[in-house]
Formats: sequence, structure tokens, C-alpha cells
Amino acid sequence: MDALLPFLEARPEGLYAPAFRAFLDPPAAAERAILSHAHADHAAPGHGELLATPETIALYRRRNPDWTGKATAIRYDDPFTGRGATFTLLSSGHILGGAQVFFEDGEKSLLYTGDFKRSRGRTAPQAEVRQADVLLTESTFGLPVFRFPPRGALEHRLVTACREAIDRGATPVVLAYALGKSQEAAAILAEAGIPTVLHGAAWKLLPEYESAGHRFPTSRAYETGPPMAGEALIVPPNCARTPVVQRLKSRSVIYASGWAVRAASRADFDADVLLPLSDHADFEELLEHVAAVSPRRVVTMHGYALDFARILAGRSIRARALTDRAERREEDA
Amino acid sequence: MTSGDENAYRAVAEALEAAAGEKGRLIKIERLAAALRPLEGARLAITARLLAGSPFAEWEQQVTSTGWATLARAASAVTGWDLETIRACAAAIGDLGEAVSLLFPLPPGEGQGEGLPAVGPPLAILEVDQTLRALATFRKAAEKQKAIEDLLRRSSAIEAKYLVKTLSGELRVGADITTVEEAIARAFERDREEVARAHRDCGDIGETAVAARDGRLDAIRFRLFHPIGFMLATPIDGPAEVVPELSGFAIEEKFDGIRAHAHKSGSRVALFSRTLDDVTVGFPEITLALALAPGEFLLDGEIVAWKAMSAEALAKADEASAKAGGCPDSFFRLQRRLGRKAPPPELLAEIPVAFIAYDCLARGGEPLFEKPWTERRRNLEEIAAESKGLLISEVFRASGAGELEALFTRARERGNEGLMFKRLDSSYQAGKRGKAWRKWKKALATLDVVVTAVEQGHGKRAGMLSDYTFAVRDGEHFVNIGKAYSGLTDEEIRRMGAHFRRITTARYGPARAVSPEVVLEVAFDTIQKSNRHKSGFALRFPRIVRLRPDKRPADASTLQDVIEIYEQREAPKERPPS
Repeated sequence: MDALLPFLEARPEGLYAPAFRAFLDPPAAAERAILSHAHADHAAPGHGELLATPETIALYRRRNPDWTGKATAIRYDDPFTGRGATFTLLSSGHILGGAQVFFEDGEKSLLYTGDFKRSRGRTAPQAEVRQADVLLTESTFGLPVFRFPPRGALEHRLVTACREAIDRGATPVVLAYALGKSQEAAAILAEAGIPTVLHGAAWKLLPEYESAGHRFPTSRAYETGPPMAGEALIVPPNCARTPVVQRLKSRSVIYASGWAVRAASRADFDADVLLPLSDHADFEELLEHVAAVSPRRVVTMHGYALDFARILAGRSIRARALTDRAERREEDA
Repeated sequence: MTSGDENAYRAVAEALEAAAGEKGRLIKIERLAAALRPLEGARLAITARLLAGSPFAEWEQQVTSTGWATLARAASAVTGWDLETIRACAAAIGDLGEAVSLLFPLPPGEGQGEGLPAVGPPLAILEVDQTLRALATFRKAAEKQKAIEDLLRRSSAIEAKYLVKTLSGELRVGADITTVEEAIARAFERDREEVARAHRDCGDIGETAVAARDGRLDAIRFRLFHPIGFMLATPIDGPAEVVPELSGFAIEEKFDGIRAHAHKSGSRVALFSRTLDDVTVGFPEITLALALAPGEFLLDGEIVAWKAMSAEALAKADEASAKAGGCPDSFFRLQRRLGRKAPPPELLAEIPVAFIAYDCLARGGEPLFEKPWTERRRNLEEIAAESKGLLISEVFRASGAGELEALFTRARERGNEGLMFKRLDSSYQAGKRGKAWRKWKKALATLDVVVTAVEQGHGKRAGMLSDYTFAVRDGEHFVNIGKAYSGLTDEEIRRMGAHFRRITTARYGPARAVSPEVVLEVAFDTIQKSNRHKSGFALRFPRIVRLRPDKRPADASTLQDVIEIYEQREAPKERPPS
């Protein structure tokens, strides 16, 4: 057993769980993969077999229509037994179907957070907490500059920014990742009575959200025509400088991402409003999660893993980063 | 949204924040104007300077000289975060001031947040100004740090943000000095050209603001020995761009030295560099030569390394060199004279320098900025005729592309960089880059290189990943060969910046190593052997010609290509003639 992580081996292809003969969120196609959620940086195409929540499997199929592999749906809180160990998928609060993975064998336990947030979004269930010996946590925003206002305040800001734009005859444009943030923004705006026009990448995922009980009666696809007066447009951030956005002469661009705390993102995305509405835990939530799980040891990964581990160690918490190499920044924050 | 207290530094910070939050230039101007409008006297002067980014007037040539490390240590002491975390936060956010403000408590209703509430009375504009000015006089970093901590402890998040930004020398609110000039014009309903002129002439945006408010702009007169901004030229790629208007342009050779303004009155001489630094003591031979000239004047020109010619060589030299008794030497040699306070006599003997004047901005107490180039040139020629040993540029005219090519070739043969084109009817636009002046430098060759690291730029490109380190292929590896700053549009830099953030593999302070994926075409003047880069070579004056999305890293130029170019073009000069 690896000294650092029980249940998992660090292999060149990714983290491997021998008890289940499966890789955990492997970056490239694997024979068998346990997936925490369906974002592309965790759910590579072409896996032989998936072990994931039904929602994640459905989203994976939608995003990989030609995929012919095998899928084993595992519901939240239903233990899945392997050789000498079980794992349980617990809600991560990140996006629809998002799960933390809780490994145990009667002696020891490990909680892998995947991507998570503790604040309650509208389109994902609240994150669960389970005490574990080892916490393998994401640390995308593992620096104290990344502190986000409460969810309610951010939702209010989103609605206000859209209303103000509409009132002066401009089109509100929400830059939001296609899976998760777009549907979340559409749900918030629907409740405020603001109809939305969704980019195809987000629109095509709505059936999966509808299966999970979410309704978007005031949303329509961009394919049916550009936004009209009173409608808000929701597109992925990489559309910010494409004609879809740029040809709207009168617009107010709202960048909805944890990275919006950086003033430089105003220029990066030609944005008018910076809204740190994130599907990731901010620095405070990362600390809260560590406290709630109360592990003997923390291992950090993604984002500011080295810094977050150092900060934890400075608070007398045994912590280290999974790798000593700085990582690529993620897209879906 | 404003604090309503015109004594409070907070009003300055809020005005800057309001400007930063706007994309449009006009609305930025309006935000700054709104902060200036209710003010008068010293508070107005200080506010105008702080909106422009420094407590000092340009003519004071002062900086608070606060190092990044001192600022970071003060931020650490005030926020309670260790230095390493402060450093990581600044790198993550891309700006130390912003990072520090994010480490302050969140505003009420915005949630938790540790840290400390501001203590003591609110910061007043006048005392902030005094403290910032005092920093310039402190010798010890510890003294500076203590003074900065005292300010930050009494700051709110937004005040801390702009104090740190001011101290780090870059506000990054997207408002340049012209924007502040226009804000003054707007606040007090004055003509913006008149505001710009007054600012240029007095070298103090604060004094300018007060004069604008009091309707005394015309009382501001040009003063010698206050540094003035330089008029800059727009680059052209070839003669075709100027041929249609050739009759309207004077042509000069483009010298390979450093730009300087020479102020002279009686025996007093001052030389100011492009960065408005006083470089007088570094060039005693120029100072002496100018001091001997009669009259009072301000000249624009170039400091070049000088190659004096023997009588024998002069007999064979071209007319211009014969007349001047020598010719400009390479920038490579001049470099050894730069950045020195007092050059030792051996160096003065080994690498003499000269000042070649090409514009006259004031003469006998009269500013000539507004006069057309032809009139300024006439004044320059008159001064040269009166003074022995004052070198001035040769002026050429041309009527077609063929003549231009010949002039260009001649300039290059004489060791100059290329040609300058100056509109005969143009005024001197101090501190501005315009189409009235053009420059044509021929890039001799290009290489396709792969970007291996990126860094944030400064000034206008602050916060953007605009500085690229690049490499050529050496077998399976990439070896660095240079670093370039510009050549792409802001739009391209932004787009590339987002991409580089995604492909970052490691961070080192403000720099990021990136996965070698992006191919650029770079032009350069020469290749030199160098220990600075792993390739063993360095490109001199590299500039990015274009992105090459059509090329993969495997298509990039190789070290062998570099060696071949070097041997063809550079190496023969190093060997004795065979």
C-alpha cells in the first residue's frame, strides 16, 4: 500500500485503485474508470468501462455520442464492493452528478473530493461530508486571495447585472462553462423571470438536467435565433471574442467564474462585470472541508496544490501535494 | 459610492477603481474628471498626480524606490500571511496591490474573511502624499517597510490596493497620462490640447490641473531643464507605405544609439533619456561639447558610440563622415557606456560617444513644439552653424521607391539602422507615437520559434502575458534563444494569454513556463553568441512578426539553422581577412 494514499497507486496513467481494477478520473482513455463528474478534464473520452453516478454517465454519453463502452451506474450513498474494499459516491456539490469518492475497508478510509463546493447551488445537491483518515482534496483555489461572497449575494448580483443591462436596452451576456455553470445561471435567471438563450454546447445537455427534475421553461437554444430584447445570452467563456458576442453592439458581458476575482479577467474576456460565481470551493470552503472531514493527513491536487499544502502544514495539519509540479489551470472554475 | 470626503485618500482610490471598472475610454475620463471637479489647490494637485500614478511631478525625477520585496514584506506584516503565500497570491492574481486588497476583510454582507479592520483615523490625501514623498528619502528598506505598514494598517481594502499599486509603480487601470490630461480638460471645461501643452511645458500634471481649474493654463510657460516626453515614430514594413506621400516627408538616417533630449542654457547642460532620467553625468564629452555652443536651446537627438577617423580614412570616407570627422559606431559598443554614473577615463578613451541632433524644440526661450518640422529644422541648422562641433543629421528627400532603397542601403552600410520619415508640416507631439514620424528598419531574417515561457508586460500591457521567451529545436529538445515584448496586437496578446494560462507547466514569480506548443515567427537584427540562453546564441532586437498557428513545434527552426545564419552573416566579421 502506498505510504501516501491508501487504496490508490500513483501510476503514469493516473491514480489507480487496485481493489476495483480501475483508474480514478484518468486523464486519458482507460479500460475501467471511476469518474467523479463529467467535465472533460476528469472524464476523458473512450473509456472501456465507467463506474459513476447515473447522471454523470448520462452526461458522458451525451458529450461522447459515439461512445460504445460499458457503464455501471452507482447511486449516491450505495457502497460498491471490490476486492477487500468498498467505495461510495457522495455528492460533491460541484455539478449535476458530481461525486466525491469515499474508499474504506473496515480499517482505514480515504475521501477523494474530485471537484467540489460546499455552498449550495441550484442544479447540484449539497456536498456531503464523511470523516476519513486521509483526505485527497482538490485545491483549485487554494490561496487566500480566492474568497467568494456568499452564494445568495452572487446570485443577486447576477440578476441585478442582467436587469440593469436589459433596462438600458443592452443584451446581458453571461460567460459560463457549458456544463454546470450555464444551467446554474439559467436556473437563477429563470427564477428572476429573465428568459435565457443558451449556446448549443450547454443546450444539448438540458435533457439530462430535466431527467434530474430541473426545468428550464424560459430557455431556448441559440440556434433558434440570437437574443431578443429582454433575453440574456449564456455562452462558454471561449465565445467572448467571437462574433456571437462581439456582434451584439449593445451588451453587458458578465464573466461568471471563480477566476473573476482577478481584475485581469476583465481584459481577458472583454467583460463588463466580474462575478466570482464558482462551482469550486473557495479558500475558506477548502479549509472548512478539511476541518469537517478531520483527516489524519491531507493530500492536495489541482491548482495551487503546493501552496495549499504548505498553508495547511503551517496550521499543524499533516499535508502535502500529490505531485510537486505546478498544474495546468482548469477551465470550469 | 464615493466617500464624500474630499480630504480622504479613499476618494482617489475609489476614482481609480471606478475608472478600472470601465472599458470605454470616454467613461474612464468621466470617472477621473468626477474626482477632480470638486477639488482645488494642493489637494487637486496631489489627486491629479496620484491618478496619474505617482506622488511626484515628472520634473522632480523622483521615485519612491520601494522594492517589490519591501512591499511584499509590509503586506505580509499587515495581513498576517507569510511571505511565500503573499508571493504566490500576487502571482495568481497578477498584481500585488490587487492581491493585498483581496487578503483584507471582505466588505460587510460579503461574508467571512479574516484579517483586521482598518484602525485609526481615515487616511487623508495630504498625509498619504507626505508619506509617499518621505519614502523617497528613506535609505533603509526597514524604514520604508515600517512607513508602508503604517499606511496599510489604516487602509481599507480599496485604499490598500491603490497604495500598493502606486508604490509598485503601475496602477493598471487602463488610464494613461493622456487620459488624465483629458479628465482635467473635462473637469474644468478646458481645451484638451491646451491642457496637454501646459502639462508638457511644466512637467507636472498636478500644477496643470490647478492651472486648468483656475483658468491660468496660458500662464504655464515652457521651462528648460524639465524633462519632456519624446515624439515617437510608427514603424513601417517597407517603402510602399510612404511612397504616395513622399513629397511631404523629410528623410533621415535612423541612428543606432539611445534617444536623448539636450537642454542647454549658458554653460549648463542636461541630457534626459527616453525614460526621462537625467543621464548627463554619463556622457561628459557630449556635455562639454554642448556647453561650448552659444545660446539657449532644447535639442532632440541620439547619443551614439563614435568612431573618429584618421586623416587617411577621411580622405576615402563618404561626404557625411568626412564632414563630421568620423561616423557612428555600433550599439554593441555603446552599450558599455550605458547605465554608468561616471565613466572611467579608460572607457571614455576606448568608446567615445557623440550627440547627433535632429530636432530643435526650443531656442532662446521660445518653445518650438507647435512649429512645423521645417521651421524647427531651420533653427537647428542655425544653431549648428553657430557652434563648432555640434553634429546634426543629414536630411534627404526622395521621389520614389528606388531612391528610398538606395538611401536605405547607404544607411545600413554606414552602420545605421534604417530610415526615418518626418512630415514637413508636423508639430512635435511630445510623448506620443503618431503617423507624422515613421521609421523603416529592415528585419534581415526570420526564425520560427516556439514559446517556452511567458511573463506579464508593463505599462500599457500590464497584466497581460505579453513577454515571450522562445526557443529553437535542438534534436528532441527546445533551447531558448531570445525574448521579445511586442509585435502582436493587444487582442492577440489577450487571446494568447488565455491559452498560455491553460498550458502553464510551472510558475516562477511573475513568469510561467509553458508547454512548448505555440510557434511564432520572429524577425531580428543580428545573431550574437551569448551565455544568456541555453542555445549559446541570442537574437538582437527580436520582434514577433506573426503567430504561426499553421506550424507545429516540430516545424520550428533548428539550432543548426541558427548556426548557419550566424556563420553566413556574423562570423566572417570576427575572423581576420584571409
